[in-house]
Amino acid sequence: MAATIDRLPSTDISGDAYRRGRNRVQMGITYILLTAAALMFAFPLFWTVSSSLQTWKELRSFEPHLLPAIPQWGNYVKVFSAVPFARWMGNSFLITAITIPGVIITGSLTAYSFARFNYVGKEIWFVLMLGTMMIPTQVTLIPQYVLFFNLKLINTYVPLTIGSWLGGGAFMIFLLRQFIMSIPRDLDEAALMDGASPIRILWGVLLPLMKPALTTVAILQFLGDWNEFFGPFIYLNRVDLFTAAVGLRFFQNIPMETSDPRDHLLMAAAAVMTIPVIALFAAAQRYFIQGVVLSGLKI
Amino acid sequence: MATLANRLRLSSFSEMLNTSRQRRENFYGYLFLLPWLLGFLGLFLGPGLFSLYLSFTKYDVLSPPTWIGLDNYTKMFFDDPLFYTSLGRTFYYAGVGVPLGVIGSMFLAILLNAKLRGLAAYRTLFFMPSLVPIVASVVLWKWLLHADFGIINQWLVDLGWSDPPGWFGDRRWAIPSLIVMGLWQGLGGTRMIIFLAGLQGIPESLYEAASIDGATALHKLRHVTLPLLTPTIFFNMVLGVIGGLQVFTAAFVATEGGPGFATTFYSLHLYRHAFDYWNMGYAATLAWLFAFVIVSLTIWQLRLSRRWVFYYGS
Repeated sequence: MAATIDRLPSTDISGDAYRRGRNRVQMGITYILLTAAALMFAFPLFWTVSSSLQTWKELRSFEPHLLPAIPQWGNYVKVFSAVPFARWMGNSFLITAITIPGVIITGSLTAYSFARFNYVGKEIWFVLMLGTMMIPTQVTLIPQYVLFFNLKLINTYVPLTIGSWLGGGAFMIFLLRQFIMSIPRDLDEAALMDGASPIRILWGVLLPLMKPALTTVAILQFLGDWNEFFGPFIYLNRVDLFTAAVGLRFFQNIPMETSDPRDHLLMAAAAVMTIPVIALFAAAQRYFIQGVVLSGLKI
Repeated sequence: MATLANRLRLSSFSEMLNTSRQRRENFYGYLFLLPWLLGFLGLFLGPGLFSLYLSFTKYDVLSPPTWIGLDNYTKMFFDDPLFYTSLGRTFYYAGVGVPLGVIGSMFLAILLNAKLRGLAAYRTLFFMPSLVPIVASVVLWKWLLHADFGIINQWLVDLGWSDPPGWFGDRRWAIPSLIVMGLWQGLGGTRMIIFLAGLQGIPESLYEAASIDGATALHKLRHVTLPLLTPTIFFNMVLGVIGGLQVFTAAFVATEGGPGFATTFYSLHLYRHAFDYWNMGYAATLAWLFAFVIVSLTIWQLRLSRRWVFYYGS
């Protein structure tokens, strides 16, 4: 990257003043556009935090306050006492703790099967798997609900987590398959010569090399479950089982003892619910982007 | 003769080797495929076919389904005005939101791809909104766009718009509000990263050649960048349309399909029949038609892509 920057001006053979002037104008326009966009993206985030620290009277005055007069940290405490938000966050974490190992184990197995074995019908299964991405979830939603209803699994986390233990979905499998295919086959062959069984090859040779892909998959799974609204909403109707997403909507709508506006508390809850995602992003930023690279979407 | 015998023996030997090896491949291939295969059959294909069956029945979950032939289909086409309006509103949302989103993400990526200082910080900033969980985002935007106390309307009043829109509470503005929220969340997210990857795949030599020919930045954008990005644009359009048509959570949490039926998108209409009225049979009919619409649109886009998508080097 640095090399390109150094090289560019020298290849610009007519690097006269006029041209350099024009480049500077272009650069200026780029920065202005980027900064304008950045302000638009950032303001709602800033406003969430600022609103969450104001009193509702401040928020409802006709003179908007960009910053709270006195930061009301107590709003965050109130969120946790008004509704079982800690419990809901815990439930969301619990779900991801079930699904992440599931997608890592069964997703890798499926991807290994698609990437390394030649068996009758493989192409058909692979195309069918990719095809599942196109079919809207609504088609399977109703019969799935009927199935889980008849199995008495409403108000359990089974409907929300079982898919992750059955391959974890087409996109994850595809991503892992692409990654396995990029690992030289010689490594498998060598282990095979040493008498390793296929499962040993996956466990001992491939999985250690797949750490970046597995981390990406784990993060995507976490984000998906943390964000998921519809599944928990239809399968869970006991308040103590709610996830953070369903709980936040519940908090938005339920009647409470006081009829005071609760926008400041909702903003605090929204912020609290976003913190784990932001923290994960800060810790593992490159893996968020790797999903794109790994799936081979350089196009 | 000898060679023929040889060949025969050889071929049967290699066949044997082949079959024993093939058997092994079949065994392990299917063994490792098993978890997914169970899921595919039990959670996808089975339910999908069952829902096709349900679409010809009246079913409320508690009593067994009763066969009613094509009644659900005639009801859908001739006796359910909300079917058409919800489909229309879904197309409005996706038809405006998806192209705006794809074009917007592309331009952000192009700006970020200019090799300037400090762009990593901008990229991180643009990415942040896509990290906000959708329910949190709805809660936030309902507050930002609050008709009376929302900061955006307060600014609009200050700017001299004495009667600013009611946003989520206004029939005409509810869908645009959802689109604005969707753009805020989606422009800088994964889609922008995909565009950045696409941009980095464009050979530098093409830009150098264009510079030597005296091309301006706009010429390069028009004649190098855009044509070479068409596969990425196409990919994002296809994914965007599939996702955009299924819009549910944003509308459900923000407005529950209101005001009136202004944001009753197709998936909300389906949801009501399934889980409010327990018309599972009719909801299954709606679901199958929806699958048909989405698959047809995807195939149509694939066909159309031959006319405008340009693959460099092929």
